[in-house]
Amino acid sequence: MRFHLPSLKKGNGKSKKAGSVKERNRIASLDKKKARAGWLFVLPFILGFLLIYIPIVWQSIQLSFSHINYIQGGGYDLQNVMFENYKNALQDPEFLNILWAGMKSMILEIPAILFFSLFVAILLNQKMIGRAAFRAIFFIPVILATGLISSIDYSQGNAAQNVSGISTGSSSSPSIVTASDIESLFSNMIVGTQLVNIVKDFANNIFDIVNRSGVQMLIFLAGLQGISPSVYESCEMEGASAWETFWKITLPMISPMILVNFVYTLIDSFTAESNKVMQYIKVVFQQVGGPEKSSAMSWFYFLVVILTVAVFGAIIGRLVFYQRRD
Amino acid sequence: MNKDTTQTVVKRESKNSIRVEFDRTPLIDRIRAKYFSLYFLKKAAWYIFRLLFLIGIAYIVLYPFIYKISASFMSPSDFDDVTVSLIPRSPTLNTYKAIISENGYFKALGNTFLLAGSCAILQTFVCCIIGYGFAKFKFKGNKILFALVIFTMVVPHTTLKLALQYEFRNFDILGIFNFLGGGVIEGINILDETYVRLNNTFWPLWILSATGLAFKNGLYIYMFRQYFKGVPDELEESAYVDGSGVFKTFVKIILPMAIPMLVTVFLFSFSWQWTDNFYTSLFFTTSGTKLMNSIIEVPKSLLVNLPTAADQYQNAIRNTCGLLIIAPLVIIYVFAQKFLIQGIERTGITG
Repeated sequence: MRFHLPSLKKGNGKSKKAGSVKERNRIASLDKKKARAGWLFVLPFILGFLLIYIPIVWQSIQLSFSHINYIQGGGYDLQNVMFENYKNALQDPEFLNILWAGMKSMILEIPAILFFSLFVAILLNQKMIGRAAFRAIFFIPVILATGLISSIDYSQGNAAQNVSGISTGSSSSPSIVTASDIESLFSNMIVGTQLVNIVKDFANNIFDIVNRSGVQMLIFLAGLQGISPSVYESCEMEGASAWETFWKITLPMISPMILVNFVYTLIDSFTAESNKVMQYIKVVFQQVGGPEKSSAMSWFYFLVVILTVAVFGAIIGRLVFYQRRD
Repeated sequence: MNKDTTQTVVKRESKNSIRVEFDRTPLIDRIRAKYFSLYFLKKAAWYIFRLLFLIGIAYIVLYPFIYKISASFMSPSDFDDVTVSLIPRSPTLNTYKAIISENGYFKALGNTFLLAGSCAILQTFVCCIIGYGFAKFKFKGNKILFALVIFTMVVPHTTLKLALQYEFRNFDILGIFNFLGGGVIEGINILDETYVRLNNTFWPLWILSATGLAFKNGLYIYMFRQYFKGVPDELEESAYVDGSGVFKTFVKIILPMAIPMLVTVFLFSFSWQWTDNFYTSLFFTTSGTKLMNSIIEVPKSLLVNLPTAADQYQNAIRNTCGLLIIAPLVIIYVFAQKFLIQGIERTGITG
């Protein structure tokens, strides 16, 4: 489908050398035009990345490859030591243990958050009494997740257990269910303690999961608006059940947003300030020779995160359905 | 003509027959048919389950707030009284009044509204453009550039804290200002320094917003990209065939379709900028501009000597500050969520 410029030029007949450059610009192929427009659309990001982001990141990366020599009377000097800081970081057994434990806990948490937020988003998309109120309530975790409010809760810490024994902070989640509750529930059935523990963990984590899935819920809700109502209408006409409609229409159409939410949840649980590894990196920063080691640690950690995102993102990305021809 | 009349006759007859049948069935049978059918039972069970489920989750979300709200109305004597647990004995609005008047709540509200509003509009628009560029145009380096977006998502700004602060305190892109030489600007004042001091202004956050680098902007770009990827190409192609350019198509066809996404991203960026503590404490080092993070303190008139419950009282006051910060956001959300309604015809394509 490319237009060949030479043949067009012949057709015009009047093009001299001076005019040909102008013409080349005017009759660029559609692909070229679109590529140029694409660059224009992405330009703000490219500019920001080159001019602002790289200089900022560069300092931090540089630090991870250097040794700081403090000069007496203030100031310091960076000495290049190549991979020594990375060696130190990787020889820290605690770092690897925490990293591994954190990754294991995500295997259950992330699907739980995704399922829960999709389910609630579908509910909140249906017409019902008090929908605005419910939506407003489910929006609150988004505000609480970052910034001032969590810092208020954090500063009060555990000391602020109030009069009636109700916890004041959303950061400290009281255990709703204990193992004995579950055991008494399952006492008639024959189940292992392992299962009891898993159920108990889920029940107690619901606090955490609800508070962490606010963002995902809103993203799903916005994604659900994009599904044309006429598709559902025709489904109803053809006699599809709600179950079939979910699997055949809603799930494929929302799948691009599932990928976004998966990647976001993964990154968010890796890099949130409550993450064990991030906390450990902060602790290491305070030690002697800590700044270099902790920056090496964090860059190694980000590499691990990016690889995880790339691997799982590619797997899930293959299952995503886009409404297009090719 | 003939065909038409027969059709209307048939219609009227069938309508009549339904009515006659309806009138002949006794009331009890009618009720039984309506309310004891499997269809109705299924629907009712679903409604009840849905309501209970949502109320349960709403309770979990609101649970920490129950005490905070009740404590915000308590007077100091209620904190000393052991018998008072949830319902204040002598309710008062003094806590709210003191915070609003003494901590400069409305001034902070105005400033934060300006900052959060301008940043949110910028971020929403810029991320929408970038996301559209990634989703719909094939150009060399598209995938690599998008990987860089993911990279900016992964590295948290808290790790880059010092470098960020330094960058904007001595703002000078590639030494341009240095090259131009001489006095450059602080706000408007010309100094003998070869860079721009941008801290204590809105500029650092505006610059970050305009380049898609502000808080969680990678997520917004990703959201828009995925959303636009789901839009069929035929839509734009038909606009191109009708003679509309790339940018006109974007404004006239694409933007109206992305309203739910735009609203969601706006809400995210607005509320995160509103409750932000990290950037405001990083870029606003002097106390010139009063923002939301500076109202969280105990007003002087409320510094009472409580023998047993001093800590609890102060925490309650801080929580009340938190409630005052959240309240405008929830109100804005209630209005904005009206745009999150299904019904925009997306495809516009038949066949």
